[in-house]
Amino acid sequence: MKFLEEQIKKMGKLFEKGKPLEKFYPLYEALDTFLLTPGTTIPKAPFVRDAVDLKRVMSFVVIALIPCLCMGIYNVGYQMEAAQGAAHSFWGAVASGAAKVIPIILVSYLAGGLWEVLFAVVRKHEINEGFLVTGILYALILPPTIPLWQAAVGISFGVVFGKEIFGGTGMNVFNPALVARAFVFFAYPAQISGSTVWVALDGYTRATPLAVAAATPKGQSVVQALQEAGYNFGNMFAGFIPGSIGETSALACLMGLIFLLVTRVASWRAVAGCVLGFLTMSSIFYFLRGPQKLAFFALPPHWHLVMGGFAFGSVFMATDPVSSSATDAGRWIYGFLIGVLTVLIRVANPAYPEGVMLSILFMNAFAPLIDHFVVENHIKRRLRLLYRKA
Amino acid sequence: MAVFCIKQGKDIRLKGAAEKEIVAMPLPSKVAIQPSDFRGLKPRLCVKVDDVVKAGTPILEDKVYSPIKIVSPVSGKVAAIHRGEKRFLLEIVIEADGRQEAIVFPKFSKEEIRQLTKETVEDLLLESGLWPVIRQRPFSRLAHPEESPKSIFVHAMNTEPLALDVDFILRGREAQFQAGLDILKKLTQGKIYLCAQEGAKSQALTEAQGVEIHYFSGPHPAGNAGTHIHYLDPVHKGDHVWYVEAQDVLRIASLFLEGVYPAERIVAVTGEGAAKRIYAKTIVGAPLSLLLAESRLEGMRCISGSILTGKDVGPGGYLRFYDSQVTVIPEGGQRKFLGWLSAGFDKYTFSKTFASSFLPQGEVSLTTDKHGSDRAIVLNSVYDRLVALDIMTYFLVKAVYGEDIEEMERLGILECDEEDFALCTFACPSKTDVGAMIRQGLDLIEREG
Repeated sequence: MKFLEEQIKKMGKLFEKGKPLEKFYPLYEALDTFLLTPGTTIPKAPFVRDAVDLKRVMSFVVIALIPCLCMGIYNVGYQMEAAQGAAHSFWGAVASGAAKVIPIILVSYLAGGLWEVLFAVVRKHEINEGFLVTGILYALILPPTIPLWQAAVGISFGVVFGKEIFGGTGMNVFNPALVARAFVFFAYPAQISGSTVWVALDGYTRATPLAVAAATPKGQSVVQALQEAGYNFGNMFAGFIPGSIGETSALACLMGLIFLLVTRVASWRAVAGCVLGFLTMSSIFYFLRGPQKLAFFALPPHWHLVMGGFAFGSVFMATDPVSSSATDAGRWIYGFLIGVLTVLIRVANPAYPEGVMLSILFMNAFAPLIDHFVVENHIKRRLRLLYRKA
Repeated sequence: MAVFCIKQGKDIRLKGAAEKEIVAMPLPSKVAIQPSDFRGLKPRLCVKVDDVVKAGTPILEDKVYSPIKIVSPVSGKVAAIHRGEKRFLLEIVIEADGRQEAIVFPKFSKEEIRQLTKETVEDLLLESGLWPVIRQRPFSRLAHPEESPKSIFVHAMNTEPLALDVDFILRGREAQFQAGLDILKKLTQGKIYLCAQEGAKSQALTEAQGVEIHYFSGPHPAGNAGTHIHYLDPVHKGDHVWYVEAQDVLRIASLFLEGVYPAERIVAVTGEGAAKRIYAKTIVGAPLSLLLAESRLEGMRCISGSILTGKDVGPGGYLRFYDSQVTVIPEGGQRKFLGWLSAGFDKYTFSKTFASSFLPQGEVSLTTDKHGSDRAIVLNSVYDRLVALDIMTYFLVKAVYGEDIEEMERLGILECDEEDFALCTFACPSKTDVGAMIRQGLDLIEREG
């Protein structure tokens, strides 16, 4: 280890003040602290510090995404094979899936990372670990057929306008990965919506479960329509359906969620709020629907839960501590409204097939307002108590 | 009487507790007075180098309110006056002559003490230089004699890592402690709150007269003065409470009973770097070298106070005025390959991100390692579990960043002190010094009025 330390130190000389690579010091610093713990000590009290740092926390979110990533790679290949009618082979599916997915992830990390470094260099601050999460989150919510240049433009927009203009990680109002996806969604709708983009095979059309449900004519059973299209609760829960790369498997999201909750990296309140709001709204549609209403209303709440991007969004996006509400009560409200809005957009608004991205972005904007009310309420209660004691 | 069970917070079970055995130390050859110990004091020097002083001779006085004095704990001569940048007074070192000649003040019997007036008590405390043992909230600064506190808190417990067991050192000194409480009672129209650890056995506490005793249980910061004040008599804007350490109540009593400046202090010598971990009976301002004799101090951090709120004074430094603990822990600074990826069976953390979080933990050895770099606050939920006050820490810190005084006050900053947030600073993954932010806010409010 001494050898490595010395080599890095030697390399560091090039980045010192007055040396040719001075400007790129943040890059060196990032590599240095990536390989070796910083080794700084504390000059003033408290003299001891917790072993956890932001690198650890962020890397845990990435670890939590591994089930979704693996499932995504496999499923992209699996859908291609199914579409071709080819014989199924596990490793074949993994290989063809990886060939589609890995480039998207690489492009996302490279293009986004470039901006991240650029801002760190110009602003002279350290490179933040937050991007490790944004880069992969973004890749996992894209369709497998996305042109790579669009993926690159999207993440550039997300990093710059979703995060850096607010001051970087920790200061952003919106979740940068969702900003990036929303940008692609509105800028290049043809490549990110419709029925042709979800299976990585040219010219192949297969509607996603949500599209099938939305298109079911009045008076017909939506569950039956889904089953006829080849979707049942089991394969939607496991994730063997077309969709964005990482979002199809509710099971993989659940695994990620358990990991995040056990390690206390994510707030259980936000997720619980999401699920509660989601079930409430879908139950309202389900139980209180009139006879002549949209067929989609009749979709049972538990089917709703495993369709589209809700599972992924509520586990990995709604729990983002920076863009979500920062109070305990606020997290409940914030999550609940995300759940309600997601179903509302999904079912009642024919313009958008899925609502989770928009509802989280919408609630990101409202999170400070929710916090404001929670804090004001706290202040009022505190003052009341203070004056009673006085 | 009430028992308060504090749920928030956490005890750091550090290796190196002191044996409960009081060992009298020889009189040190040198002591120091460090003006920075006294928050709110604008120091003016009353002595020059080589001046001869007695125990009780004023060394410093307050420029704003001159009756407040800081006095020499020993007799001898002024050996050195160390100054820092802009002639900032760092410390005044006094060489002891070993004779312990003292300025004589009037003394009283226990019965006479009960008849004393507020003015006599105030005058004697100020004159003798013992007044600074009384501090006030808000701002944790020296109490001002012309203000009347709505209550006085006697702080008879300490939950900081390896802290002195106050209950233990009060045993057998019931009468003296009671005399001290009687004297304090003269200073306020309000109540005296005596705050002790639940299960305290010393009769000095359980049998105390004329005060309201309350017990606190639970993890640190259950023993902080801030926690006690918050639960019993919270301060709002415009009023004050005063607080005194239990050991200093003993000193107040001995001033009135014996008529000389009482310099005695029992100090817990703790931490794995200390060779002899004992309760040392020494005097205020004693050098650490006396307390840590025989300890090997290379690669060690010598702290006056605890790991959470102490000050790095170095092996050649001196005990701070209010400290009753010395902690010696190993220095950090080792760099580890891919440390952030390790499973972490040996890491100490409040989070659940290391293997050790899921295993039973005994006493731990901690170094001064920072374990990370500074970042913007991302995980804002870690604070709430660690603060015993009903305060929204994250929003308070944001208000301080924004220098929004009105918002800070509404969020309750006047009840806070940096020590109440030491655990937040410890646990923050973004390595934000939450306590320092709170202090910054308090300083701003004090400055702007």
